[in-house]
Amino acid sequence: VTGGWEGSLSVQHIHAFLVHPGRGIKPKPVVGTSVARSDGTFALLDGVYAKSDRECDVDITFRPTSDGKQQNDCRDLIVSYLNGPTLAKARPIAERLALHTDLRSGLGLLFLIVGKEVKEHKIVFSRFPTDSAIYVDESASALTVEFLERVFMKNKTSYKAVLYRHASLKAGFWSGRAIDKQLNNPSGEPSNYWISDFLLSEYTVTPAAGTRRLALALREAAKKSELAVKQELISAANLASGLAGQRISIDSFATQFNLSKSAKDAIAAELKSARVGQEVFRFDLSEYRTLVAYKSVELNNGALLTAQFSDFDKVFQQEVADDSKDEVRFSTKGKIVNEKLKTAP
Amino acid sequence: MKSSKPRRETLDTLYRRRYETALKPLAKALTDHIVDCFKEQPRIDRITARAKGVGSFLEKAKTRVENRSKYTEPLDQIQDQLGARVITFFRSDVERLDAIVKKYFRAIEFRDRVPDSEWEFGYFGRHYVLVVPSEIIDASIDDALIPAFFELQIKTLFQHAWSEADHDLGYKPGLSPLTPSEKRRLAYTSAQAWGADHMFDELFCERNAARLATEK
Repeated sequence: VTGGWEGSLSVQHIHAFLVHPGRGIKPKPVVGTSVARSDGTFALLDGVYAKSDRECDVDITFRPTSDGKQQNDCRDLIVSYLNGPTLAKARPIAERLALHTDLRSGLGLLFLIVGKEVKEHKIVFSRFPTDSAIYVDESASALTVEFLERVFMKNKTSYKAVLYRHASLKAGFWSGRAIDKQLNNPSGEPSNYWISDFLLSEYTVTPAAGTRRLALALREAAKKSELAVKQELISAANLASGLAGQRISIDSFATQFNLSKSAKDAIAAELKSARVGQEVFRFDLSEYRTLVAYKSVELNNGALLTAQFSDFDKVFQQEVADDSKDEVRFSTKGKIVNEKLKTAP
Repeated sequence: MKSSKPRRETLDTLYRRRYETALKPLAKALTDHIVDCFKEQPRIDRITARAKGVGSFLEKAKTRVENRSKYTEPLDQIQDQLGARVITFFRSDVERLDAIVKKYFRAIEFRDRVPDSEWEFGYFGRHYVLVVPSEIIDASIDDALIPAFFELQIKTLFQHAWSEADHDLGYKPGLSPLTPSEKRRLAYTSAQAWGADHMFDELFCERNAARLATEK
């Protein structure tokens, strides 16, 4: 293995299983093996293990039982395996994955990679999806072409992984970090089978909590910024309505809408730590609309125009009045239904 | 001759450091955060959060069950190092607030804390173990000192009043165990609080239904 390998030297055990789909159909027996340190695959997986801290970017937490008990079947299997990482204790984890894999997800190669880093136990599950490929061998006088039916590839979009690390096998291992590249890519495969069904987990940040963070950060950043940044943030806030149900983080939001450095800095200044910006959540439009409900524009002639955020541009038509003075003209038409006197801001 | 081996820090030292540098500022930020999440909710009497005191933590760490230590890794196993409480008026409010808790926080446990049998006394309320949200964690706090979870309780005014008085009377260190007569009297107060809570809730639901009918 060459290029890009990041060996960790802390990997202690690797177990591999060929996992056939077993959801809704009679499951095939799960066949597994230990990967020896001398095996070439060990070095590749050591790299997967080392990179997992960077690659696994979705914070997840195990669910309690439906009646609220602090117990989770998948976590129990992981902790039991970590207490004595043998092939026999790894097998129930692979069998659990088979039970939650349907034909659309197909055959997969599951690796369980266990290591110890100072005081912490660390485990990485890595599922390589299957594909077909063509193998070509070139010699001086001939070319041999061979069709390969079972090739397992990490760079496919259906590659999945999860990482857990903690010092305590008794109280820890409730939260981890996952990769699921399909979460925003509907491909026919059930996108939640890895996190929700197999790992019996949820995103650590709830949709409402994550959306609330984003909305408050945008609102406060806009309030404190100079006019150009304010307008940029409000434009992005307007476009956010199109994100309903999507998996985002505050950082990815800023990247997706191509915000300037000043706008990104203004948002970052509203977060307690960089981590808050990195955490992934599903965007909750109804929560967002309760927090970013109205838009106001104040003019230098004393006018203050306010309308529901999502309707502002429909309610008020804006045109350039005098470009040399940066003056605009707003117009609107409607029936007066109420009037208010307000205190000074 | 001095030993060159570093001395292992005691649980007392470790927790005291956690308490001073992490739990105290986190408790303050947690109070503000919960207040903000619940600010639109009616009939909330108060919201508080606290860092578990050093003495209380060390006492809990010593708990034994069937002659064995209940907590072999107390810094990881004791989940109420940060505790928060939301006090509301009526039992129906607890259900309403339950939805808000689950909307904004990730739970690894939720349950109604009730006595083991109907013949035992005690009146506790709803209890959650929730992931500490990252928006309350200041970047200056050492990650290793931050507990993964905190405990949240939602109680009615009567549940709160009963459990505070019960704790003061029954669980103060140095006090002799309660006598059977004292236990009976506490059981009586528990039943009274339970009854008052039910009556208030019935009245609230009746009055609320009547108000809604009038508004139609």
